[in-house]
Amino acid sequence: MNGLLNWILWFPVIGMIAVLVIPKGNDNAIRWTSLVATAITFILTLVLYANFDESVAGMQPDFLVKVPWIEQFNIFYSLGIDGISLPMTILNGLLFFLCVMSSWTVEKNVKAYFALLLMLQSTVFGVFFSLDFFLFYVYWEVMLLPMFFLIGVWGGENREYAAVKFFLYTFFGSIVMLVGIIALYYATGKGVDSFNILAMHGGKFSELTVTIFGNVFSFEKLFFWAMFLGFAIKVPVFPFHTWLPHAHVQAPTAVSVILAGVLLKMGTYGFLRIAFPIFPAASVLYSDIIGALGLISVIYGALCAMAQDDVKKLVAYSSVSHMGFVMMGLAAMTVQGMNGAVLQMFNHGTSTAMMFLLIGVLYERSHHRWIVKPDGSKGFGGLYTQMPRYTVIFIIGMFASLGLPGLSGFISEALIFLGMYEKFTTMTVLAIIGLLIGAAYLLWMFKRMFFGEVNPEVSEYEDMNLREVAYMIPLCVAVIVFGIFPAPILNVMKASVGQLVDLLAKY
Amino acid sequence: MLEILKASLSVYLPEVVCILLMCFLLIAESMHEKEGTDRIKVYVLATAGLLLAGVFLVLNLSLAPTGAFYNAVVIDSFGTFAKLIMVAGTIGTIWMARQSGDIYTTMKSEFAILAVGTLVGGMLLASANNMLTLYLGIETLSILSYVMATLKRENSASTEAGMKYALYGGLTAGVMLFGMSHIYGMMGSIQFSEIVVKMGMLSGADQVFMMASFLMFFAGIGYKVSAFPFHMWSPDVYQGSPIPVTAFFAIVPKMAGLAVLIRISHLFFSEANGMSSAWIGLLHVVAALTMTVGNITAIGQDSVKRLLAFSSIGHVGMMIMGIVVLDAVGIRAILFYGVTYLFMTLVVFWVTSVLSDAYGTDSQAVFKGLIGRHPSMAIAMIIALFSLAGLPPLSGFVAKFNIISVVVEKGYFGLAFIAALNSVIGLYYYMKLAKEMVFSKSETTGDVPGFTDGVRVSIVALSVPIVLYGIFFGGLMTAAGNAVIFLK
Repeated sequence: MNGLLNWILWFPVIGMIAVLVIPKGNDNAIRWTSLVATAITFILTLVLYANFDESVAGMQPDFLVKVPWIEQFNIFYSLGIDGISLPMTILNGLLFFLCVMSSWTVEKNVKAYFALLLMLQSTVFGVFFSLDFFLFYVYWEVMLLPMFFLIGVWGGENREYAAVKFFLYTFFGSIVMLVGIIALYYATGKGVDSFNILAMHGGKFSELTVTIFGNVFSFEKLFFWAMFLGFAIKVPVFPFHTWLPHAHVQAPTAVSVILAGVLLKMGTYGFLRIAFPIFPAASVLYSDIIGALGLISVIYGALCAMAQDDVKKLVAYSSVSHMGFVMMGLAAMTVQGMNGAVLQMFNHGTSTAMMFLLIGVLYERSHHRWIVKPDGSKGFGGLYTQMPRYTVIFIIGMFASLGLPGLSGFISEALIFLGMYEKFTTMTVLAIIGLLIGAAYLLWMFKRMFFGEVNPEVSEYEDMNLREVAYMIPLCVAVIVFGIFPAPILNVMKASVGQLVDLLAKY
Repeated sequence: MLEILKASLSVYLPEVVCILLMCFLLIAESMHEKEGTDRIKVYVLATAGLLLAGVFLVLNLSLAPTGAFYNAVVIDSFGTFAKLIMVAGTIGTIWMARQSGDIYTTMKSEFAILAVGTLVGGMLLASANNMLTLYLGIETLSILSYVMATLKRENSASTEAGMKYALYGGLTAGVMLFGMSHIYGMMGSIQFSEIVVKMGMLSGADQVFMMASFLMFFAGIGYKVSAFPFHMWSPDVYQGSPIPVTAFFAIVPKMAGLAVLIRISHLFFSEANGMSSAWIGLLHVVAALTMTVGNITAIGQDSVKRLLAFSSIGHVGMMIMGIVVLDAVGIRAILFYGVTYLFMTLVVFWVTSVLSDAYGTDSQAVFKGLIGRHPSMAIAMIIALFSLAGLPPLSGFVAKFNIISVVVEKGYFGLAFIAALNSVIGLYYYMKLAKEMVFSKSETTGDVPGFTDGVRVSIVALSVPIVLYGIFFGGLMTAAGNAVIFLK
């Protein structure tokens, strides 16, 4: 089992190389190759799940990989998996597989598109597996390149602006984080563990100070904020969310799915793996601020979503809102709150992926996404009579998204509220109002798009075909099954999350 | 006497080879009678000579630091490493010039001769061990550079560039000479090693005077590396000169200037005292302002040459951060940066050179849709651009990582954050070029005439180290780390 992480990490790259050597013009061969590559990768992540030992709190000893990379700087190619990264790994495997299926209709530069998609998958795995700071940063940044080109070449009308804004904004966050990484390198004494993320865990830097232009700062507090900036932009937490609506709206369907489904989780994963365990004192000290920013994201995101006429933008803002719940769960720093947050990361990944895929399906028919067109007329209307299959799946996705009991969103949100009630009572109440706004904008959107008179344009739409239904089924199953029985995910993360909560409880 | 000369010459072989090469090149060029004949022999000869010089340099790398010619010059592995970068840059730009319609059709092989001559000046500068040698080096470097800038005699922009360069250069050289003579007046010596000893004995008031003369001294070097506030000439000169000349200016005089700046800073200011903290403070400000001004001004440029001029100012600012720390790790970081910068600069300028020859302009629009026409060239260019911006896993990232980490080690977090923000600005304008290549549609289709097989292979070959040194940078880092500076 030793090499399994290597296989998962590099298999998409093998797929990418295979795609690149297929001569131009064989579009179907390229599509099938990508599909097979992502399918095998997904199966490998399931194998990983099957061999996962739930009782181990830290990194799974069976899967650790550690090879010297640049020895004189103590940089290692070091991979590992624990209960926090496992759900993200499976999600990443699943979503890319489905995205390849949904991208069957991409006609422009097929080869480059799938090659970039596969490259993106590998880099995302890299972020979730890396236990070496240098390696982590490399993957964190390399990920921007395929995203930049995927949005910029295959995106909508305003794609260039969106790609540039996404790239610059994230790069800004990560370069500030880089200064933090370098500072940690020296704070650990340049020894053999100076890039080792795990070795830095446990609040080893609380005594240090730094001087900037004559002012003395606490090392821990200062670099907690440096890390915070890098991760908060990725999540994105209010007020760093402004790149997200553009990127989402302009990105092609599959890329929106990946962006909302896994890339945003890299931000919250960063808090769980890096910011909180390395700077526990500062994390506890500033947890109120993190929670409050999470709350603002919840409410503000929901209100923005309500105001949107573009359905994709609406879902994009709903992501801001839902990721706010994750941030609040993290800030609560209790067992339920943290577990709920990690579960919400997974559940939001499936439900929001459904929403974006469904919008993509509709867009292929309508070539617009207006709930209400700019001229005031209705964009859709009466979809349920025309597209019954679509409507059923949409209902599942939407209710999972708004947190209906019995579907996946409810459990994670409920856990988060349970976990944070004691610490942030008022904020919990306000967050539940955010949930209410969430229900309002989703139902209102649903009403305007699916009910009412049948729009003449809509009457020409065909219902979902077999391929489209096929890639929605796994997600439907996921939101229903994990809504009733979340134990398979909760059990794997319990030990790892518990360890983190115990660490934070000491401060 | 003869013994000393012999011993000196034996370590001074690389420079001797270059000087002889320049003479041979002049003869070889004059043997071509007709205007239109191919000058390939001159280029082959130049390359062979430079490679020979490179071999001698590599042999010198392992040499213990020695003084030569009565300590007028010093041969140490630091200077030798810097010279290697300069020699490699010269070889690269000479072949770029051969392919360039900008130069070759009108100027034959004069570029190669001038470049070798300038290189000699740069090498002299990199190993200068007294004030006079330093001044000789700067002047050799500068005077030939003025000529290179005006290579396109009929072009008014080119002559203007040469004029500006000469005026600015003359002024700063004068200021520098004034500073030098003041230093000599106070110290009674032009020899660096003797000045250092006497500097330790200065009283507080004398130190202030001395600092003023060093400030003037800095003007001359700051102008050579185009550090703020002596950077104003470089955008105009870069834009006016033919592109291979611009590429040459971005590599050779810059490396030479940086080498001498490093040497001066380490010799005179490595011991902590009042003067050294003033010098460090000066470099602090110069580094921060140089990169900020360079990067911010680059944003608005449409001319690619001008953009690259400003971006190179930004990179020099970054490299000066490695001098601020005044330790061996800083030198290593700068030399590593220099090597990666060499490859990135060659790729970026070469692609720009071919495109602007084909279109007759160097506006960013010439890059439109390059990916559809020459995918390999566009990808090489994108690699070089993103490496300049400092994205992993490319060598530009490692260089930037290193240089930021040396200032963080000293606790200069303010400078580190300024450098980090500058990287973001840098990314913006590099990305704009990448965007043109990939996102925009080309107005014309078909091959760009200048991208012959030879050019394409050269550019791709030059972009390979950009990636390789980004992933396996241990070896190069060790080599740069072994380059020790000769102190005392």
